[in-house]
Amino acid sequence: MADIDQIMEHDHERLDQLLGQSAHAVSTGAWREAAHLLEVFRHGIVDGHMVVEESTLFPAFERKEGGDDHPLTALLRKGHQDLRIFFEEMAEAIQDQDAETFDDLLSTVQSILKQHDAKEEMELYPYLAAALPDRGEAAGKRILACEAETPS
Amino acid sequence: MSEYHGCELPEDLFYDLDYVWVRPEDDGTLTIGVTDPAQTMSGRLQKARIKKIGTHLDAGRHVATLESGKWAGGVPVPFAGEVIARNEALLEDPHLINVAPYSDAWIARIKPDDPQHALDNVKTGPDAIEALEAWIKRYGVQCMRCSD
Repeated sequence: MADIDQIMEHDHERLDQLLGQSAHAVSTGAWREAAHLLEVFRHGIVDGHMVVEESTLFPAFERKEGGDDHPLTALLRKGHQDLRIFFEEMAEAIQDQDAETFDDLLSTVQSILKQHDAKEEMELYPYLAAALPDRGEAAGKRILACEAETPS
Repeated sequence: MSEYHGCELPEDLFYDLDYVWVRPEDDGTLTIGVTDPAQTMSGRLQKARIKKIGTHLDAGRHVATLESGKWAGGVPVPFAGEVIARNEALLEDPHLINVAPYSDAWIARIKPDDPQHALDNVKTGPDAIEALEAWIKRYGVQCMRCSD
């Protein structure tokens, strides 16, 4: 199995592609497809990626780096909280068939994800293999299982 | 006015203890903006989108989104209500938030659905200032005044 940092970075790329597919469907007016693709993306990032990070990776980093008030994980948790709300707002824009609002939200969400992912990839993931007792194997398996259940 | 690490923290405002301040107005509406330490951490703001007048927002939803070169995020409302005014000047000049976060750069005015409980999820007074100082310390923020 690949290292946990490679697995998480690959998952970022996979999720970015799913979001891009939903955005493309919006641009062509394929609203039902857009809603489905956004839900696949939301499920993958919220119920998979974020859950693994918040339940396993962030606590491991915090144990290693001195507590649950660490600025890096506090900022990343805040980012997750914001993103969950943005995903709900994007789903509502699709439901309302409001491409203008969706595009505004997409622009902001893509900016957040770009900065958030870069922070994780540069400052968090490189430490995890050493911080996790199993070197990240269990967390990696959970991410790979989420990827495997994503419909093509 | 309290000040900590150069960040201004007006004692008469209410805070969500993260990014947002709330000011009750005489007519029962509530004005919302972002705090001095939050604007500092965000960096020079380049883009602002604010929900249109008449938009209804549930508690926790974003009344605005802000972007700088290094940060993007939403401005959540701590209570449910309807947008009755928005600061059009910010749409043209988002950087105003970096210059005057508590005055000229208010973001929106909201009419709360439940005025009796609209401030239940925000804090004010010494406890709020202490919590904001902890926030500033956690993120290592040092505020500096922008002149333009």
